[in-house]
Amino acid sequence: MKRRKAIGATLLVMLGAFGAFAAAQGDEVQTGSLTFAQPVLITSIGQSAGAAQARVVAIKAGIDAAYTQRATLEELEGFATLIVVLGASSKGLGAAGVNIDGEIAWATDLLGKARELGILVIAMHIEGGARRGPSSDEIITTFAPYADYLIVKGSMPDVQWTADESANGNADGLFTTIAAENEIPIAYIDATLGAVDVLIELFGIPPTED
Amino acid sequence: MREGTRSAFVWISVSVLLLLATCFAVCGTAPTSHDVRPGYGVSEIRWLSDYLPALEGTPGDTPIYVLRGGEPGGALLLLGGTHANEIAGIMAATLFVERATVTRGTVYVIPHANNSASRYNSGVFNAMTPEWFELTNAAGELRRFRYGDRRTHPEDQEPDPDVFVHHPSGLELDGDEARNLNRNHPGLPDGTLTQQISYALFTLVNEEEVDILVDMHESSLTGRLANTLVSHPRAVDIAAFAVLDLELDGIALKQEVSSEEFFGLSHREFGDRTAALAFLIESANPGQEASIENPDVVNDPRSPLADRVQLQLRTIEAILANHALLEGTTRAISFTLPFALTDLHGGNLGMFMR
Repeated sequence: MKRRKAIGATLLVMLGAFGAFAAAQGDEVQTGSLTFAQPVLITSIGQSAGAAQARVVAIKAGIDAAYTQRATLEELEGFATLIVVLGASSKGLGAAGVNIDGEIAWATDLLGKARELGILVIAMHIEGGARRGPSSDEIITTFAPYADYLIVKGSMPDVQWTADESANGNADGLFTTIAAENEIPIAYIDATLGAVDVLIELFGIPPTED
Repeated sequence: MREGTRSAFVWISVSVLLLLATCFAVCGTAPTSHDVRPGYGVSEIRWLSDYLPALEGTPGDTPIYVLRGGEPGGALLLLGGTHANEIAGIMAATLFVERATVTRGTVYVIPHANNSASRYNSGVFNAMTPEWFELTNAAGELRRFRYGDRRTHPEDQEPDPDVFVHHPSGLELDGDEARNLNRNHPGLPDGTLTQQISYALFTLVNEEEVDILVDMHESSLTGRLANTLVSHPRAVDIAAFAVLDLELDGIALKQEVSSEEFFGLSHREFGDRTAALAFLIESANPGQEASIENPDVVNDPRSPLADRVQLQLRTIEAILANHALLEGTTRAISFTLPFALTDLHGGNLGMFMR
């Protein structure tokens, strides 16, 4: 609960900074001109296992989410929100039979189609420092600016990171810079399951009784 | 079974094993024997050759410890020592055999999956790694364990080919990988010793209807796979749940999924060719870091052995818990230990052993 309050505070600060406000309306949350709604499609850009973890996060948040490791353009139809999990895995790319250039071409088309269909995009980076490196950073710098909202497991600006250093995906402030330059609201979490509370806030999921 | 009877049974079994090991030694084709002291949780001891008689009396044969739970459930196979220099898996398996009680289902534990690899150390990643390491138990007794090798002993198998061709994929690898158990799956019944070991493991998994297979490995401290849980694609959800649960408990694990273009690895081949959900755990072993002089494979504060064993066993615990959550309880598997696994953190591993 303490963590949830901290994340909530972070959200409000960040949303406030970008002139937005959060107000629960049924199963939706409006953030300025943005409205995150269900159903949700989760997919990976970079083919890491992070998308499978995002699915767990969505399940725990009580969100109606489908998961496809590498979604086709056709699969976007009917979804209100697309969650893309950023992070390159050589095993995952190999499994999908593509290289990084092919992945970037596919993801460019996917996000373009999402924009065309009016689907909002949440970009998540939830695997920490393990998913930072040349290939992952190429994906991050290419696609994080497309997002309507960013969720990052990593340190907030001017706040000391107390978890395992390898879990810090924002040690160099890359996501902070991208968010500021592109005026994208961003939430920082210190553990992947911290994203559960962020999604609950964003989608206005009503609390459940324990 | 009454406690006294069970205890007598286990000690008789151990005596028979030691007798057989002595006999093999005299005959000159011994499976290497190890200091493993089965606890009350062990119901039966088998040999890998029970699943492929051709292995009997060879350096590839190895004991299988069977722990049956009081309640019916699924079956788990724990593999340590696929690479015999990756000692956290061996010690996690050994600790399990010595102290665990299975409450539901059946657990098959093989601490030395490639027993031939356990009888030498070529210093494959670090020439200064020891051939033995020692732990002191609660009684003050010094126990010695082998620090083995990544591959089958060269004397136990025909000379390496120039190029190893994996069966059946045809994937070509360096010749010495012909002796790497984790490049030989699913093996062959009449192949090399390494292929026969693999084949026997597959026979075990199929005959015993194993639901979950966990192959325990180690990487270097700085390697890409350090502290990683790899799963077959069929097991990716369970792995994701497990990784996230462990993170909340302060254990940071990366998650990877089996590559579809790299063959011979346990998580890929058992996942593809059997009904088992296959996982591979990698803890971080300073003995596999080439840059460390005289690596302390037990007490290096960056990654002490007790912490690595804790990581292995807590990951297994999380896999089992989430397997029950996602797949239902009919084939669930659970175990208990007479201490909290968190107690291993920063502890002296020997004090937890018999």
